[in-house]
Amino acid sequence: MAKPSQPILLGLALSCLVATNTVQAKEQLVLAIGGEPEQGFDPLLGWGQYGNPLFQSTLLSRDSDLSPQPELATEWSLSEDRLTWTLTLRDDARFADGTPLTAEDVAYTFNTAAQAGGRADLSALKEATAISGHTVTLQLREPRITFINQLVTLGIVPHAERENGYSEAYGRHPMGSGPYQLVEWQEGEQLIVERNPYFYGPAPAFKRLVFLFTGEDATLSAAHAGQVDIASVPPALAANVPGQMQRVIMESVDNRGILFPMQAAEGKHADSGAPIGNNVTADIAIRQAINLAVDRDTLAEVALHGFGRPAFGPADGLPWSDEQEAIAAPDLAQAAELLDNAGWELRDDGLRYKDGLPARFRLTYPSSDTTRQLLAEVSAEMVRPLGIEMQPTGRHWDEIQREALHQDAILFGFGSHSPQEVYYLFHSQHAGNGFYNSGFYANPEVDAHLDAAQAAESIEQANHYWQAAQWDGNTGYGIRGDTSWAWLVNLEHVYFANTCLDVGELGVAPHGHGWPMTANLLEWQWTCG
Amino acid sequence: MSQVKPLHYQSTRLPAQPRLMAILNLSIAALLVVGLVTSQWLLGDLPQQMQFDARLVPPSSHHWLGTDALGRELWARTLAGLGLSFWVGSLAAMLSTLIALSLAALATLSRRLDTLVSLLIDTLLSVPHLILLMLIAFALGGGTQAVIIAVAVTHWPSLARVLRAELLQLRQAHYVRISRALGKSRWFVLQAHLLPHLLPHCLVGALLLFPHAILHEAALTFLGFGLSPSQPAIGVLLADAMRYLSGGYWWLGVFPGLGLLLMVLGFERLASHLRRAL
Repeated sequence: MAKPSQPILLGLALSCLVATNTVQAKEQLVLAIGGEPEQGFDPLLGWGQYGNPLFQSTLLSRDSDLSPQPELATEWSLSEDRLTWTLTLRDDARFADGTPLTAEDVAYTFNTAAQAGGRADLSALKEATAISGHTVTLQLREPRITFINQLVTLGIVPHAERENGYSEAYGRHPMGSGPYQLVEWQEGEQLIVERNPYFYGPAPAFKRLVFLFTGEDATLSAAHAGQVDIASVPPALAANVPGQMQRVIMESVDNRGILFPMQAAEGKHADSGAPIGNNVTADIAIRQAINLAVDRDTLAEVALHGFGRPAFGPADGLPWSDEQEAIAAPDLAQAAELLDNAGWELRDDGLRYKDGLPARFRLTYPSSDTTRQLLAEVSAEMVRPLGIEMQPTGRHWDEIQREALHQDAILFGFGSHSPQEVYYLFHSQHAGNGFYNSGFYANPEVDAHLDAAQAAESIEQANHYWQAAQWDGNTGYGIRGDTSWAWLVNLEHVYFANTCLDVGELGVAPHGHGWPMTANLLEWQWTCG
Repeated sequence: MSQVKPLHYQSTRLPAQPRLMAILNLSIAALLVVGLVTSQWLLGDLPQQMQFDARLVPPSSHHWLGTDALGRELWARTLAGLGLSFWVGSLAAMLSTLIALSLAALATLSRRLDTLVSLLIDTLLSVPHLILLMLIAFALGGGTQAVIIAVAVTHWPSLARVLRAELLQLRQAHYVRISRALGKSRWFVLQAHLLPHLLPHCLVGALLLFPHAILHEAALTFLGFGLSPSQPAIGVLLADAMRYLSGGYWWLGVFPGLGLLLMVLGFERLASHLRRAL
């Protein structure tokens, strides 16, 4: 007898899911919004840094204009020397096992996260101390203006010494004080969560959420087949809305751009073994010419189907970004002149050469990402008339890390609610450290501005330094300075949502299509009978 | 028991009809091959040229097979894809045949080597093709080179088994025994008597492997383990088409799929005719 094939089994499984979903429409939502975390749901290792931690609560949250709001902490203050945060916790917060969340748990979370080396940067934290059951202080080594971001993003985990406390397996079996608790996680397939009965806030409208971890194609097919209630879709594929769904747009600070390797190739290798440097992109004339040649409006139209806008920096429109950072219109003539002056000679084969070196390099993107593929292909086409050959190359993420990260131009995406990301992206201290400054950008003057911003006395003063790091009239990381990136577009996050689902007022999403949408989960309502 | 004669002693006359069909197929295939090989030069950068004002346009007199999401002509991309598949398939099939022939020849040298080669063949045949292909392509980091190696390394066992059996049978032939009795070395016997007899088998074997190799290259690329998504490979075109299918853009999948089908069927028919003719 022939065995049933995997697609048939999957089809049956999905049909069962739909049947269940129809019967319990108000009870269960099926979401295909991607974003399965490799390291599990452990805030100490980075879970929740881009968006809502779901299982855990944070000390503070942000409202739609990004200002801090009370969450676990009802009151908070920063000492005059800007070295001590004091926070008062609410007294009705409980973990999913019913035990109360105390200042001990908060102190444990911060102290452990500081040592864990995850995505949460707590290098400025000296010590977190529980003063009383509901008061905690966070002592800093030095003033750090962006430290508040950790209060907004770091989910609180239970102290290791308590029952059901934090352990190495926490990422696979998270327990927190957030609105939902984990029921089952089948890695690579689905995550099932249910309401946390001890959640201090209003009970979510949906008892159970099922997150399907499907690829772009499968997500789209499932949306068209009516098998999911929310599906995140790449902008280029968002034109045809399935019959029973509506298109939901979430504004974001999520951007895409080309990170250039800034060092010449001298045979050096990073600790990971990946080669460092690229002789073509190390020349500022090449980077400036690309920035001048790329038509960002057309990119947004063609690659994003209009669901986005041109980008010129890592944080366009945010208070810590310089508004003057823009290119009025693409100018191929000026770009060509710039290359001529820099000694890049155009030859008969249509390519430019300098001392025998062709203006050719790989533009690498993760092969599973349609949006980045389109951006890479279209921008490569736009710079081709200049005699620069960017070769769009799709690779797996681990291959990118192993081979391409420091020697290829990479089509990256970033975007955060905090200027801390700017610090990571451009401070030489983070050169070669993870994805952020993988091009090994280093400029002492920019470092000085970034450090000054972190140590600033006020947000306004910090913003002045953040902007100076971009361009201070003399130098900067931006397009008037070192041109370390060619920022391309800012995205709108596009979702297909069931017409019966009211997702309320969505905020502004950071990088990471998917989870950030669940930030206002408590407002979601089913409007059909 | 009939005696096995070396090929160069046999008459090359064939029954008229299969031979005619083989010649006809060979001519068509030759034309196809010339077209595919030269397509790279004839098309230039046409498969990459974008027309932003003509995106996802259905087939018409201006755009013969329609355009894709970036306004690139689908006929040019399909042809370029078939050309690319042809190169990858040819190289992989040749490499695979070479591996099969080498191992079959190795098996004739001693009983122990024969056991080893048989074990290797059985082991590889017991593992599903596609899984092994994906593993090898992934381990080699993807790209054209990795696909060629992966396809070549996984496709030789069937042919090697045929060649080995043929060689073992040939070893018992009188002229081979006489040659050995006259004191000729194993290597001499192999290259003077055995290999010339095997060449037609290799040719047919390679031709039969070719459509297999092309299909697996396309499958590997479709699954994301093969060629870069930015190359106009048939697997890439089909994978892209999948995303747009729900929007009604049928031409993105139909024409590359049809092209692949025709090429695979064409070469398969040619190989079948050749096998019968030879």
